[in-house]
Amino acid sequence: MRILFYAALSVLVLSGCATNKGMYDWGGYSGILYNSYKDPATVAANTQKLELHIQALEQSKQKVPPGLYADLGTMYLQAGDKEKAKANFMKERNTWPESAGLMDALINNGVTPKAKEAKS
Amino acid sequence: MRALVLAMMLLLTGCATQQAKTDLSAFNAAKPRSILVVPAANKSLDVDAPNYLLTTLTVPLAEKGYYVFPVHTAKTVLEQEGFFDGDQVQKQPPEMLARLFGADAVLFVTINRWDAQYAVLSTVVTVDFDYRLVYKDGTEIWKANKKMQYSPQQQNTGNPVANLLAAALTAAFERAKPNYLPLAQMANVQVLTAEPTAIPNGPYRAVN
Repeated sequence: MRILFYAALSVLVLSGCATNKGMYDWGGYSGILYNSYKDPATVAANTQKLELHIQALEQSKQKVPPGLYADLGTMYLQAGDKEKAKANFMKERNTWPESAGLMDALINNGVTPKAKEAKS
Repeated sequence: MRALVLAMMLLLTGCATQQAKTDLSAFNAAKPRSILVVPAANKSLDVDAPNYLLTTLTVPLAEKGYYVFPVHTAKTVLEQEGFFDGDQVQKQPPEMLARLFGADAVLFVTINRWDAQYAVLSTVVTVDFDYRLVYKDGTEIWKANKKMQYSPQQQNTGNPVANLLAAALTAAFERAKPNYLPLAQMANVQVLTAEPTAIPNGPYRAVN
């Protein structure tokens, strides 16, 4: 009975800890976006930083948090690299089924931003 | 040291506002899996505030267990659709925005304040946000307001002249470069995870 009590208590304590612990390794994603908005000259360096973080997560078999692949894809798209953009949109779609509708639209017809089309 | 003071101020601010628990019945009935964060409407005078705020919402929402649509991608897609600022986006029907992205719910934020008020020897930095989460059928499922302030303080050196000088230096520093981001992040974390406004855990959190 006493053991049961302690077992229950430790479960409570452990689950308490679990809810406070972060589920994902974000690798400074917020800061990467912030710096890109604040100083557009840093976009290329920030793209590289996000790319390296994602590669590290993939190598250590950790789940890439929601939105990271897709935003990396958009950063590549804005730099004119359609292939890398598409590859990252595919990865977002495969990792997060909720993104399927948006990713399909981006992969199929959004690969060239309309804003750029209008300029050229 | 400044971080510690900031944390303490935030804790105190957090404790001071005790309100009734937010009604979550509509939220629990809707059970959204995915949340689209759109650029915020801006009532502050800082034109950069919506972009900066946008970078602070993904982490707390995703850590609550929701799929959060890529904020930078969403912003870019909206710009392609002709919506260049948050005020414009927020006037669109939530149903239309949810359908465009395939989202279960849309988070709208209005920035009421994002400013620093200067006195000779101190500065008060304030952020104030209205949050509104709307389900894809147009039902509002959660609503909250969060205001956070901090005023940088410095240690007492024991020397009145040195204290005065230190205060003037800190005020000057804050005037040149007020740091809103930690304050905005704290506001988002508290409003989403602390009572009385916390939202329920999403599907990715519940399975753990």
